[in-house]
Parts: sequence; structure tokens; C-alpha cells
Amino acid sequence: MNILEINHMKKAFGDLQVIKDISLSVKEGEVLSIIGPSGSGKSTILRCATMLEKMDSGELIYLGEAAARNNGEGKSVYSSKKDLKRMHQYFGLVFQNFNLFPHYSVLKNIMDAPMAVSKIGKEEAEERAMSLLKKLGLEEKAKAYPCQLSGGQQQRVSIARALALQPKMLFFDEPTSALDPELTGEILKVIKELAKEKMTMIIVTHEMQFARELSDRIIFMENGVIQEEGSPEQIFATDNARIKEFIGKFVG
Amino acid sequence: MSLDFMFFELGKGFITTVEIFILTLLFSLPLGLLISFGRMSKHFILRLITKFYISVMRGTPLMLQLIVVYFGPYYIFGAQLGRSYRFAAVIIAFSLNYAAYFAEIYRSGIESMPIGQYEAAKVLGYTKVQTFLKIILPQVIKRILPAITNETITLVKDTSLAFVLSIVEMFTTAKQIAASETTIMPLMVAGLFYYIFNLVVALGMEQIEKKLNYYR
Repeated sequence: MNILEINHMKKAFGDLQVIKDISLSVKEGEVLSIIGPSGSGKSTILRCATMLEKMDSGELIYLGEAAARNNGEGKSVYSSKKDLKRMHQYFGLVFQNFNLFPHYSVLKNIMDAPMAVSKIGKEEAEERAMSLLKKLGLEEKAKAYPCQLSGGQQQRVSIARALALQPKMLFFDEPTSALDPELTGEILKVIKELAKEKMTMIIVTHEMQFARELSDRIIFMENGVIQEEGSPEQIFATDNARIKEFIGKFVG
Repeated sequence: MSLDFMFFELGKGFITTVEIFILTLLFSLPLGLLISFGRMSKHFILRLITKFYISVMRGTPLMLQLIVVYFGPYYIFGAQLGRSYRFAAVIIAFSLNYAAYFAEIYRSGIESMPIGQYEAAKVLGYTKVQTFLKIILPQVIKRILPAITNETITLVKDTSLAFVLSIVEMFTTAKQIAASETTIMPLMVAGLFYYIFNLVVALGMEQIEKKLNYYR
């Protein structure tokens, strides 16, 4: 079953057509990586899929439920607030710069949304948060504040925060771009672990080697369209000169 | 003139000063937040109205505003509100005036918040109200505290303007004693009272700032 389906997504900012016509889908347990140069529209896809931005045109479907459908004129029409609120629980998003809540402790960062949004009890929320922290090796940081953590630790907390809501899938928006190579490794390890557990994920990344190892499928984007889509083997053995050049710059 | 008498009289005036101070803060701090919402609203009309309000409140003397609030009901509606309205008029005028300043302070704090905080809250499913109350406002308070302290200290000194509506607060008392005893001593003592009051206010605010310093 498709967890997420995007059909003919189009999005412009002013005169700039950032997403021209993109369709993609992710099956349960699948890991899809999106690569491509800066400004190619990778992040915008995630922002539209997570409804931080509204698409101009196209369909957005989670688990068969439409969050947005096209009307007769080909414009996206979003479902009712109530339906969207429910569909929000299907996914989590991990940001490039973490966006933890600085005034909350690590534990509260993870516990608060399940309590405030999913309305689960305090004890259950704390249990859930602690087991996630344990899993991510941050148990002893539960009482710390985000500013006391390294970038890698902050990003792990933000992954735990997203997981605490028990989403069906996770989006990662360049999760290691704000981290140095050493810290990058610890985040990639976490994502690999999630992949092993068959977490459905879409990852926007510049870590080519990582995308190659981890992904079931890779999409190469440029100028708002999908230039090529395929298995890591297919993408890394492509004849497309542009993709070769792009990957070559990273892999060296 | 006995010193006891002077301190006793100034003390009575001081109570009125503190009353004006506390009541004004009590009303103007929440009102300022509401006005800042209007000032940042998506609705053009609401934005225009609050912008005009702030510009008038900041652009005209507080003394004049006190007079307008006190005499306004009579001139506009012919309402006879009597002398007991004087104190209420002082609180209303002070609150309306200070709310305008506070509104701009709130706005500066709210607009300085990184958009990522809103986006993280939205993706996690927080409602708009939850996002503001749980995520944004606590961080805004930390950011605007120094500016609020400034305004609060100014308010302590501004309370002396209540004399315009012949409310007998501390400075009025000091002037009366000074005139009848032909000495500036009471004014100096009043000055000392204001200074100590403000010292306490500043120290209190510093404590709150320290308390909020547990995060960056």
C-alpha cells in the first residue's frame, strides 16, 4: 500500500515555478531519497507534502485519503481542517536545523506533542519519550536543554520528537546539512536503524554514499522536475551526463 | 515640620502611587498583547486602526490623554461621572497609553521569533492557540523582558502625572508639603522613594530574567 502519493504537484513562488510537475509515491517500508542541486525544488516537495506550503495544483494522498485533490480547473483543493488534522498524524518531519523548542527540556520536547496533540496521558508520554531516548542513546540527556547539546544530539532529539507521535512515515529535510562530518555519521546511523525497522522515509540529502546504501529508490531532481528515478544501482550507473557530473562532485 | 509627619503623608501618597502602578500594569500588559495582534493582523482595516491608535497614544502627551479620558465622557455624551471617576480615569488613561507601548514591544518580540518554531509546531500538530501559548509566548517574554523593564520603570515615574486629575499621589503630597513648609526636602525624599521603588522593580525584573536564563 502507498503511504504517500503525490500526483502532478505544481508549486510557484511568485513568477518562479519551483515544482513543475512532480508525481511520486512511497510504499510502506520504503526509503526514497531525493537528490539534486540546491534550488532544484527538493525541499519544496517536502514542504508541500507536509503541508507547510500549499501546492498550486496536484493531488496529495496519504494512505488512500486525499489531503488535496484537483478541482475542475486543475487547482489543488484541500480537505477540511478536521481531516487534515488527522492526516497530520500520519507523518513527521525532521528539519535541517532541528527546530527544537529551546525553552523545553529534551524530555518535554518529546513528550509535549503526544500530550497536547494526541492527548495521551503524562505517564505514557514520558514512557514513550524515555524509551525513544534510550534507543537513540540520549537517556542521560533527558533533563538537559537543547542549547546544552551538540548539533548531532539535537538532531537525534528532533528525530525522537517526530517518532513520539508514532507517524506512518518520516520526512527528512537535509538532516545532516547543519552538522560536521563526525556528527553527520551519528545521524546517518540513526536513519539506517530506522530503515532496518522498516520505517517509511523520504530523505532529501546531499549524502550520496548514504543515499546509495540506504535507499530503495532514488530520485534525481533538477529545475523542478524529476530528471531520473530508479534504484541506487540504476542512478549511480546512469548514462545521463548531468547526473554523473552531479554525483561525481560528491562522491569524488 | 516633623519628619514623622512628612514620612507619614508621603507614605499615604506612595500607596496611591503603587496602586496606579499595579493597576496600570495589570490592564495594559494584556491589552498591549491584544493590540499587538491587531497590529500584526492579516486584516488591513484592523492593522490600520491599531497603527493609528498606537501613533496617537505615543504621539500625544500622557497628560493630555488623562484630561481627555476624564472630561471626554462629559463632552461627548454629557455623562456626569462625578469626582469618584477621577481615579478610574487615571487608570484607564495610563492603561490605554502604556498598552500602546507594550503592543510594540510584544510585536518586536513576536516578529523576532524564527519561523522554524512555528513550522515545527505545525508539523507536530499543535493548534495555532497551543503554538502561541506553549511555544511562542514563553520565548517572546524572555526576549522582551529588558524592554518591559524600561517601560515599567518609566511608569513608576509617570504616576506623578495623576496630579492633573487631582489624585493625591506621592509627588503631589511632596509638592504640597514643600509649598507649605517652604523647603524642597519633601521633594528630595519623594525622589528617594521613587528611586528605591524603581530599584526594587529593576531587581525583581532582573530576578525573572535570571530565572529565564536556563536556556538560550
